[in-house]
Formats: sequence, structure tokens, C-alpha cells
Amino acid sequence: MKLARRGIMALAALLSLPAAAAGDPAAGRDKSDTCVGCHGIPFYVNAYPNYRVPKLGGQQPAYLVAALKAYRSGERPHPTMRAQASSMTDQDMEDIAAFLTQAPRHPSDKAEK
Amino acid sequence: MKRAVIRLDLKTLLIGAAALALPSLSAQAADHGAAGAAIDQLLPVCQSCHGEHGAKPIVPEYPVLAGQYASYIEHALKDYRSGARKNAVMKAQAANLTDADIAALSQYFAHQASPIYTFKLEQQK
Repeated sequence: MKLARRGIMALAALLSLPAAAAGDPAAGRDKSDTCVGCHGIPFYVNAYPNYRVPKLGGQQPAYLVAALKAYRSGERPHPTMRAQASSMTDQDMEDIAAFLTQAPRHPSDKAEK
Repeated sequence: MKRAVIRLDLKTLLIGAAALALPSLSAQAADHGAAGAAIDQLLPVCQSCHGEHGAKPIVPEYPVLAGQYASYIEHALKDYRSGARKNAVMKAQAANLTDADIAALSQYFAHQASPIYTFKLEQQK
């Protein structure tokens, strides 16, 4: 009886795990080729509306995943980012976030505005 | 003659820099610029989730703001305010911000010491 209860608890714990496994930074690096075209250029400017494309290096991985999911669902409006995110699986997002949070710094990114 | 003047200037500069270093740091903490009064009331609200100076969010789902581009933070806050970017928590926070508040907050966070940066892909081996 005790054993059965433990079994049920273990099963519940398993089911409550997120669908995607923890991100793999090495896999994420290979999936980040398209990010770098805008986010890998210091001071790169989004054409319209006009603002600088955000820095992603060192950002919180769970936030990056949440942002990508919001682009994919359309909660966050941005045509280019929606197009990028719409082809990603949850695992892709986890991997990319795991890479970005510890990616190397662009040599010309000095602390700035 | 000319050389003596230059030497004096350098010396003055060095002493001046040393003397100013401490006062200017504390002045920075007390005064956030033009919109000082408003931002002093707003900042604690931001920092209660995004952490001290926006550099240490309390949960991993919240972004670091410190060091992010001011124009991007401004865009994000305006999208929250208008509802273009859907987030219940941030919509409520941004709802009553004026354009001047948004500009001041964006400048403040952009100028804080930051763990974020523009990344690069490592060279392929």
C-alpha cells in the first residue's frame, strides 16, 4: 500500500516535469546561426519601429524561452521573430537559451548604453 | 613653458579625478537625472521583481534590464502599456507610466552595471 502510494507520487512527479529537457548549449550554438545576424551585432537597429535589437548574451535562460514562446504564439508581435520562433520546437528554444546565457561576448561590446 | 603648463594640467586632472571619484558615485545613487523625483518612486517597483538595478531578477522568467539598450526597454514598456505585448503583470505596471517616466526608466536601466552583452558565435573548430 505504502509502496503503491510512493509509486503514484513518483508518477505524478514525472508527469509534472516540463515537456522539453534542459537546454544543451552545444546544440543551441548550432541553432543560433540565424539569431546572430541581428542580435550578434552591437547597436544593431530594428528597422521599424526604430529601436536597438536587444542584447541576449548572459540573459536569463527561462526568460529567453518565455520570449520565444510568446513570439511563436503571437502574444508578442514581431513579424521576424514570429517567423523565426514558429519553426522552433520547445527543445530548440531550451537549447538556444542555454547557449545564449553563457555565449561568448562580442569583442566590440564594451559596457554601453 | 608650454611643457610646464601641460604637466600642471595633468597633475590637476589626476588629483581632480581622485577627489571626484567618491562624491560622484554617491551623487549618482541619489540623483537619477532630470526625472529624479518620479523615478525614485518608480524604481523600487521595478526592482522588486527585476532585482537591484535591474541586474538580478527574482525569478528566472524575468529579464535582466541592467545594461539593455534604452531604446529597446522604451519600446517594450510602450508595447506593454498599449497592450501590443501581452503580459498581465507588466501591463498593470506600465499602464500609468508617462512617456517621460518610460524614457527616464529606460535610461536608468541602460546605464547600470550589467551581466548581459551582445554575444558572438564561437569560431567553428
